[in-house]
Amino acid sequence: MAAAGSVTVALHVAEVLETIVSGCLGPEGRQVLCTKPTGEVLLSRDGGCLLKALHLEHPVARVMVACVSSHLRKTGDGAKTFIIFLCHLLRGLREITDKEKDSFLFENIQTCGRHWKNCCRWKFISQAFLTFQTQILDYVMDHYLSRHFLSIFSSCTKERTLCRSSLEMLLGAYFCGRVGRNNHSLMSQLMCDYVFKCTACESRFEEVLELVDDCFVELKVGVTGLPVSDSRIIAGLVLQRDFSVYCPADGDIRIVIVTETIQPLFSISGSEFPLNSEAQFQTSQFWITERTKAIVKHLQNQNVKLLLSTVKQPDLVIYCAGLNGISVVECLSSEELSLIQRVIGLAPFVLPEASSQYELSHTALAKFCKPLILRSKRFVHLGLMSTCSFAPHCIALCAPVQGLVEQHENALHGAFKMLRQAFKDLDLNCVTQTSDQSCTSGPCIYKNSRESNELPKIVNSSIQRSYQDTVVKNKGELAKTQTNLKVCSNLIVPSVKLEQNVLCSTPKVAVTDSYQTDETLRCSSPNKGRIMDDHEPFIESNSANSKPENTRREISYENLQVAKLARKDSILPLRYKSLETCTSQSYYSSSIPAGCVLPVGGNFEILLHYYLLNYAKKCQQSEQTMVSRIIANAILGVPKILYKSKKGNYSFPQVYVRALQALQTNQPMISNQTGLESVAGKYQLLTSVLQCLTNILTVDLVISIKRQPQEVYDQDSEEEL
Amino acid sequence: MSRLEAKKPSICRSDPLTGERARASLAALKGLVMSCYGPAGRLKQLHNGRGGSVVTTSQSAALLAGLPVSHPVLKVLTAAVRNHVACFSDGGLFTAILCCNLVENVQRLGLAPTTVIKLNKHLLSLCTSYLKSEDCACRIPVDFSSTQILLSLVRSILTSKPACMLIAKEVDHISTLILRAFLLTIPENAQEHIILGKSIIVPLKGQRVIDSAVLPGILIEVSEVQLMKILPIKKSDSFKVALFCVSLSGDLSDTGEGTLLVSYGVSLENAALDQLFNLGKQLVSDHVDLVLCQKVIHPSLKQFLRTHHVIAVDRIGVSLMEPLSKVTGTWPIGSLGSISPSSYGSVKDLCIAKFGCKHFFHLIPNKTTICSLLLCNRNDTAWDELKLTCQTALHALQLTIKDPYVLLGGGCTETHLVAYIRHKTRNEPESVLRDERCSQTELQLITEAFCSALESLAGSLEHDGGEILTDSKYGHFWSVQANLPSAVNWPDLPSRCGCGLYSSQEELSWSFLRSARHPFPPQTCLSREATGSADTLTLDCFTAKLSGLQVAVETASLILDLSCVIEDTN
Repeated sequence: MAAAGSVTVALHVAEVLETIVSGCLGPEGRQVLCTKPTGEVLLSRDGGCLLKALHLEHPVARVMVACVSSHLRKTGDGAKTFIIFLCHLLRGLREITDKEKDSFLFENIQTCGRHWKNCCRWKFISQAFLTFQTQILDYVMDHYLSRHFLSIFSSCTKERTLCRSSLEMLLGAYFCGRVGRNNHSLMSQLMCDYVFKCTACESRFEEVLELVDDCFVELKVGVTGLPVSDSRIIAGLVLQRDFSVYCPADGDIRIVIVTETIQPLFSISGSEFPLNSEAQFQTSQFWITERTKAIVKHLQNQNVKLLLSTVKQPDLVIYCAGLNGISVVECLSSEELSLIQRVIGLAPFVLPEASSQYELSHTALAKFCKPLILRSKRFVHLGLMSTCSFAPHCIALCAPVQGLVEQHENALHGAFKMLRQAFKDLDLNCVTQTSDQSCTSGPCIYKNSRESNELPKIVNSSIQRSYQDTVVKNKGELAKTQTNLKVCSNLIVPSVKLEQNVLCSTPKVAVTDSYQTDETLRCSSPNKGRIMDDHEPFIESNSANSKPENTRREISYENLQVAKLARKDSILPLRYKSLETCTSQSYYSSSIPAGCVLPVGGNFEILLHYYLLNYAKKCQQSEQTMVSRIIANAILGVPKILYKSKKGNYSFPQVYVRALQALQTNQPMISNQTGLESVAGKYQLLTSVLQCLTNILTVDLVISIKRQPQEVYDQDSEEEL
Repeated sequence: MSRLEAKKPSICRSDPLTGERARASLAALKGLVMSCYGPAGRLKQLHNGRGGSVVTTSQSAALLAGLPVSHPVLKVLTAAVRNHVACFSDGGLFTAILCCNLVENVQRLGLAPTTVIKLNKHLLSLCTSYLKSEDCACRIPVDFSSTQILLSLVRSILTSKPACMLIAKEVDHISTLILRAFLLTIPENAQEHIILGKSIIVPLKGQRVIDSAVLPGILIEVSEVQLMKILPIKKSDSFKVALFCVSLSGDLSDTGEGTLLVSYGVSLENAALDQLFNLGKQLVSDHVDLVLCQKVIHPSLKQFLRTHHVIAVDRIGVSLMEPLSKVTGTWPIGSLGSISPSSYGSVKDLCIAKFGCKHFFHLIPNKTTICSLLLCNRNDTAWDELKLTCQTALHALQLTIKDPYVLLGGGCTETHLVAYIRHKTRNEPESVLRDERCSQTELQLITEAFCSALESLAGSLEHDGGEILTDSKYGHFWSVQANLPSAVNWPDLPSRCGCGLYSSQEELSWSFLRSARHPFPPQTCLSREATGSADTLTLDCFTAKLSGLQVAVETASLILDLSCVIEDTN
């Protein structure tokens, strides 16, 4: 298969997937019914689910599905947006290649000689995308978008506390895209209540989310045949099995967990038990009975009222437990056991070797323990006294059909994943480089405008300052900058950046190089002097830096502090006023703070679109401009679909124009929709799509193998052996 | 063995409802369930060409269980109905018909699904809040001091299942039996938390329906051979019972995962038998009169017990274990070693009874909430249908205890609701329009679709070509015979409305059910005298019907929301 066709082919595939997926996108999206070969029906609006159900054969499609599922595993949301965005990117790429067959990328022609091939061209484009993803995207996110971010946390104190209304908005927007449209509000309300009920200690909600995400299967009970509105939260833990013995008990109930049968076995595996007489057989049976009784009696003496067992206990144990007033639950799954252990921190009870004089150290307490009847099925209902930050609660999900129950389960599980991601700090990688770039691109532009000659001085002064720095420190940074250098050289970034990086590492080289920089800048000085607004803040920042006689370490320390403050400062809206000054100095780690959100309805997309276009205008290199433009235009595809059914004032062009006007005049954007979405999720989605795209573009040949996949598997296993 | 074939790609179809195939299969299902509905419903005979028994039924539970459905949309619908029936036993056909009607009516309108779903949800909440409110005129609070309403409820359920093949006298007999069986399961000294007992239905096929009976306690069926071995029961006022859940057959219980090395000449069977005899001796010395075992008792032990005048009954089965342990007050014994005296129980009396050609061992308890309903019917299919109906009725009674209301049956609730919704949306549409952001026309269209779905549901009670009228005071359901000469002044004809609450003696004005009328406010607040005066009402279970209504609307919304179907063809 020729590589030239790969974009066209991929576009065809992506368009087919887009038509399926776009029907389910957003609050207006509809449901899809999947039938399984077993005859079950599954309702879904989950993009990942649909893509899996399609069982695609096309190799490119399979690459896409694999990328989507790996993205989902990480974030739990965004499969549909993934496909739509990818499709628009491919469309943008094809348009460009159709229009200007060979007019762009003249350098590439040089590198490849006269006969450059298509694959080569795609490789360069994909590299440009990779550069964009690793450098420009983070830069744009950090510098421009971050001032629009809102925070989900309610107070600006050190402790991060969840704000109920904003959590509701976040979840509401999530469920709009995942469950049937008459159940949005119900589900988000249910989940919100659940999160708050489960959180015993407000500041440790992250642990709760983690636990719920890990053990979600054990924390929900599906009930079919009831209306969805009957779904509710049940206090305590519900185990999906009945008691083997139930003895009603009041007050606090002591619990013991066992992982083996209490009744001693005749013989353990791998051993032989010689029986020489009938009397011996009878005495050993008698001993077994007596011993079992003794252990159960011992448990009763220790006031144990509930025995949780991971294995099936023999009749004798059940009988003895019943006589001694101990309730028994058998055959707990290992997942249930681990959940219980996490909640109450209880280790399994080890059977004593010698008889009864053995103090029970491993017990826990429960407030109640009773049968629970849901739809004429009996469950065990435990009110465990939690020893961690998770107050145990379960969700009973009701729906007329099993398929709908499953949909709600998946949506809830995904929501917990999404929340976990949203409450994590997300490091923007390579920010050091990008901030260096900003430094260089700043003077670059500044110089181009030919307004003053101050710049070389500033550059020089900074060089001198760095010259005064201790050598030790520079060594420390050397390693980093070297890696930067590597990355930069790989990606064919113009020399300006390279030199600026060198500038940080060794002063000597830097001095000489910076002259070169100046020269190159002068040589390449483009004729456009358009960015007039930018030099003022730049001068300010630079002068601010050069004014005090601080060593650089101190400055960067200050910057760190600023960054920290900014992170903690969680007043709505969260702004990075000091970002310009921060990033003009090099080393500090930038991140999207935990809990950053934006209003739904394409806000993120329009913002990114706007700033990317701005960036593209400023940017010098044709590839970067092209890539930024493609991405900026492609990202609008999602809000276009979202607003498809809206009319008049709420139609997409109207919304778009209004947003742009607001941005240009520095006014806050007004969103007519209530709902929030996590910035981190959006950002991760963007990077995943770009990675997927580079994956698709770099492949130049698809080799189809007719052999049975089974054989390949066999070979693998042989190798392992 | 893992599969060798690669999976085939699935088939994806968009807009599953617009196709001709979908419409045809939906119409077919609708016709099927509609024709079964109500006391005059037609019976369906399900038979599989490859074998198995023939089922004659008009109940949704039996019908949908045996009906293969190929269209994925219908799979959703039938699954929803079956799950509803599994939860509430009653109201399956109601749910199915309403759901089909809603999907069909809305599909015809061609509005955007978003609006439809929002408004349907709104109309549903209008219905449920009205049905739950105090001034609802189609809901009757249950008076537990008399059996009248409960008996009417059971009768309504029995008469709505024509496949039971009961005549009026038999309906009376069975409904009193069911009510008695239910009352026996209520504990006498009830605290705030009532735990109901259980009525065990014992089959007795081939007998007259009139021979059915309710007996307190448990009937254990015994064969004639077993019966010969059971000695004549001595007279006593209390019998001591031991109930075993372990096998008493003398086989070696699990010996662990290792190997047992048995020397030559050592017989473990004898050892086990010795152990059984020791157990027997203990039972005898404890003066046990009756030994019951879930599994098998070794013949030698049986013989031993018989010689000591202890009755032994084995192979009871796991399903009877829980009621038995409740009736006798025993702990099921799981040990062959020493038995704690506290695990013995007792019964008041024992007797051997013969019903039809079957012999039963009858345990009469001192005081428990377990009873046996001995159910007879002429043939197998009719018996199956009757059993299902009895279970439905018992379940409906349990639900009624939980939520002590009943709804008017016979189509009156539906027509009354229709009148209420029409009036409400016509006169107070502002709140809806504001909340749901839709136009007046959309609201009118959807309301009409919703109401006509309910009306056509009520109308499907009439199978003999009669006309259906509704009055403009109560909004109830009146049915008149077909083929009447138009000259006759038909408003004089109907004597009682569908539920039997009102008679035509009053000055009422009638109109055809599906004709265009001016919306009127139906009279709310049911008067106590009205419910007291009528002796036989047609009633429906409140909880089941309410949930059925919700499930039907939710399922219809779900189906209307489908944008495409992905069929996995592997």
